[in-house]
Amino acid sequence: MQKDLENKFLLDFEANQNIVHKICRIYTTNKDAHNDLFQEITIQVWKNYLKFRGDSKFSTWMYRVALNTAISLYRKSTRKVKTQDFSAIAYKIESTPYEDTEEIQLKALYAAIHRLNDIEKALIFLYLEDKPYKEISETLGITNVNARVKMNRAKEKLKNILNP
Amino acid sequence: MDLLDNYKKAWKNQPEEASKRSTIEIYKLAHSRSASIVKWIFIIGILEFLILNTLSFFMDNDKTNEELNTLGLESFIFYFSFVYYGVLAYFLILFYLNYKRISVIDNTRVLMKKILVTRKTVKQYVIFNLVITALIVLIVTITTLQNEFDIVGGTNIILIILIILVLLVLTLGIMWLFYQLLYGFLLKKLNINYKELAKLDTNS
Repeated sequence: MQKDLENKFLLDFEANQNIVHKICRIYTTNKDAHNDLFQEITIQVWKNYLKFRGDSKFSTWMYRVALNTAISLYRKSTRKVKTQDFSAIAYKIESTPYEDTEEIQLKALYAAIHRLNDIEKALIFLYLEDKPYKEISETLGITNVNARVKMNRAKEKLKNILNP
Repeated sequence: MDLLDNYKKAWKNQPEEASKRSTIEIYKLAHSRSASIVKWIFIIGILEFLILNTLSFFMDNDKTNEELNTLGLESFIFYFSFVYYGVLAYFLILFYLNYKRISVIDNTRVLMKKILVTRKTVKQYVIFNLVITALIVLIVTITTLQNEFDIVGGTNIILIILIILVLLVLTLGIMWLFYQLLYGFLLKKLNINYKELAKLDTNS
């Protein structure tokens, strides 16, 4: 029973790990911190996997656990890391055939998101992932109206950073 | 087209993570030790309960009892201990229940609130302890002074009370500073984020 559950978790998590990587890229700025947060999210998803009832999609459920871990449970590593040693997401993008302007845009986007606060990051991330307002407000625990108000502010802030 | 729509397109086309984890790696990560804030709050909370009680254990020796007897406070201390341990049990149970209620499946706001409430239980316990300590110091001082009023004399009493008050305020101040540092370090981010979400609901 436990073994079956574990196997199911491993397959589910592996298939959806890109969501977690994206969250790690948003909430951290270097590889060590990325790995730390990834590890903590993996622990939390597994610890709570029993409570995942399957009445929602696994990915939807994982968005919540992963974001909650990044916002509320994860404490930045005490290891001293020089902030200069990251260049946006340079370490993540490898030689994939990829349109140049989009790569520049993506780097600018990540750099801009890094300048938002934790809640704004979550809002913008869910917007970029095309999540409906209902899901956004349920994930964060705020009303639909407030989600919209706050989203508009976050988007404005992001636009100002991207295009000052 | 909106400025962000362009970026959204770039976001959607971003390549998948280059160093994807295998199921074996995920297995290892899932079974590794958590370093979450909640875990730290739990460990530090338990330590606080332990340390505060070890301190009172050290003070509870024969010599102190003897002195309390001469002051006529022994029955007061006896009943007081009952109440004290009752309150301690209450706080410990409350702390544990609050800790167990924390769930990362809750929505962000509820989760943060539960973490902060758990932390608050320990804070209340510490305040309770400080107040009790201050109270005991005051009671013992007053009783001592009453018993030895003739020996000490009026002006000296005021001086002694002043010195004790200063020491009391100093000790409380140092403890307060220590707490600000310890929990400021642990909970700063959480407090900021919680306020940010709460602000959302009161603003509009």
